[in-house]
Amino acid sequence: MSIAYQSSETERTDFAAVLAKVCLVAFLTSLGIVVLYPLLWMALNGFKTNAEMFGNPFALPSGFSIANYISAWNQGIRNYIATSVIVTLGSAICTVLVSAWTAYGLTRSKLPGKPFFVGIVLGGLMLSPTVAVIPLVRMMQDLGLYNTYWALIILYTAFRIPFTTFLIRAYMLGLPRDLDEAAIMDGASEGQIFWKVTLPLCKPILVSCVILHVLFAWNEYLFAMIFTSGADLQTLPVGLTSIMAKHGTNYAVVFAAMTLSALPIVMTFFAAQRFFIRGLAEGIGK
Amino acid sequence: MTDLSLRNIRKAYGDYEVLHEINLEVKSGEFIVFVGPSGCGKSTLLRSIAGLETITSGDLVIDGERMNSVAPSKRGISMVFQSYALYPHMTVYENMAFGLRIAGTAKAEIDARVCKAAEILQLDKYLQRQPKALSGGQRQRVAIGRAIVRNPRVFLFDEPLSNLDAALRVATRIEIAKLKQSMPDVTMIYVTHDQVEAMTLADRIVVFKDGRIEQVGTPAELYKRPANLFVAQFIGSPAMNIRKATVTDRSATSARCLLDGGVVIELAAEPGKLSKGEPISIGIRPENTRIHEDDGRDGTFTGTIDLVEHLGEVQILYLDLPGSSDKFLIKADGERSFARKQKICFTARPQDIHIFDALGNNSEMRGKEVFKNAGLF
Repeated sequence: MSIAYQSSETERTDFAAVLAKVCLVAFLTSLGIVVLYPLLWMALNGFKTNAEMFGNPFALPSGFSIANYISAWNQGIRNYIATSVIVTLGSAICTVLVSAWTAYGLTRSKLPGKPFFVGIVLGGLMLSPTVAVIPLVRMMQDLGLYNTYWALIILYTAFRIPFTTFLIRAYMLGLPRDLDEAAIMDGASEGQIFWKVTLPLCKPILVSCVILHVLFAWNEYLFAMIFTSGADLQTLPVGLTSIMAKHGTNYAVVFAAMTLSALPIVMTFFAAQRFFIRGLAEGIGK
Repeated sequence: MTDLSLRNIRKAYGDYEVLHEINLEVKSGEFIVFVGPSGCGKSTLLRSIAGLETITSGDLVIDGERMNSVAPSKRGISMVFQSYALYPHMTVYENMAFGLRIAGTAKAEIDARVCKAAEILQLDKYLQRQPKALSGGQRQRVAIGRAIVRNPRVFLFDEPLSNLDAALRVATRIEIAKLKQSMPDVTMIYVTHDQVEAMTLADRIVVFKDGRIEQVGTPAELYKRPANLFVAQFIGSPAMNIRKATVTDRSATSARCLLDGGVVIELAAEPGKLSKGEPISIGIRPENTRIHEDDGRDGTFTGTIDLVEHLGEVQILYLDLPGSSDKFLIKADGERSFARKQKICFTARPQDIHIFDALGNNSEMRGKEVFKNAGLF
């Protein structure tokens, strides 16, 4: 009787486990669909004509013509992408290097009052870009940087340093100090320790920070709209609004333009996904 | 040939003093081992010698030159870390060559030195591997190789074997001993809490406790003539048994002592030492006890077996003795059979009994003659 009781208990436990697993898979699948479907829908509509899209918006395109994509590419997307790439890469490199140096100083130096400096740097996380816009415009005009790539590169770098430093610092706290000490015994200077030992070991978190920065800089709208005025210096988010204004009724071209703008960032994320997750997971909680 | 002197070395973190007035002379080519329990300051002293910690006061002198404010890499010292501290993103070759590259050594010279060290340590086949592709023992050899290539005057080892399993630890210990033999002029300072490593490797052992040196001596000296109760119990495994006693009677040449539990022993005592009524401690190593059948004589202990640990060739008996809650350990022949609750009698040769005064210092008395007269053997 006891065995029978145990057996029915086991069956019930197995059933609950299977049910939980099915629910989890169903939930994750739904979540995947919710996230991916709009992107897929946007990309597919880029292959349709305007009439086709309004006639049956959720159907597959009758043919995979890339005319809309070519049209979008030629109507400015090419320039917008080039500007976005320059601004994004420039600010990503500056942000990560400055933040890594800062994090190195905050984790490795024997500076008195270090918690105070950590507070100052990380306090920047709370600074809202919106409230700083007017003084920044004046400053950029005075410096002669208004409507240049440098305006955006400097601003993106400045506003992302606190968060990036926060992530890299957390990662560096987990790196063994023995390696620094071994390098000191080997005669390395602080700079050599940073470049040759610490920085290579921070690769996972650096990749994560670059991806997070790319996501931010690629999609940033406020500064891009305010600090650039010429079409040749507009980044993708501002450029897309221009395209929408120009081709307000030709949604197929707009969707194609949107798909083209999203493509580089999606590809970047998938290419570096492994490092991204590892970097964030290893740096969490310190 | 490098002499190293530590003169009144103090190290403090704020008000907390970690090292108190350390004085030590290390002769050229000596293998010195620092031992002591965790937190006794042995690693701090090693790191101070390396230059990784600043010295609060006192002088560190290497070959007559004061080194307190000299950069670690300029002291002619190499260090092997407990965690190996190999650069994980570099190959074995790059790890070993890193210091030389920083120093701007010519490539051909780097090649020659790395290859020579790799040959000595049998790492030739692994030079292009990364540390993660090596076993623990191989990583430790790379760490040693990285130290060798710099041709140091002094080698520092900070618990280098503690991350290895038991078998590998023995093998690597032997390798380190051979390495020392192959470099007789190099001074080595080795930190460990494992007394087997200390006893087998050291020319001299320095025993630390609470930031102070308790005793400096050869392994045999520390084992046979421990300076105080701490050293007596720290050196030797299992630790020396200690029993409280009181001097009950004093003649011109001897002192009669009553141990807790009622055993009486008689010691030869110089005039001026051990006065009547003085509390003392008696130390007997587990391996220096002799089990016998007789009972009732002076110097004979009687105890009841509480636990038997079989170690193959020997067995450790944990005895309950009257008058003390501490177990008394005996190392007995592995062939004999013992049972729990069995009552046994044992004694020790007079020269194997260590006497410590009320302050815990070795009174240097054994009382060999008087013991014989007392009819113990």
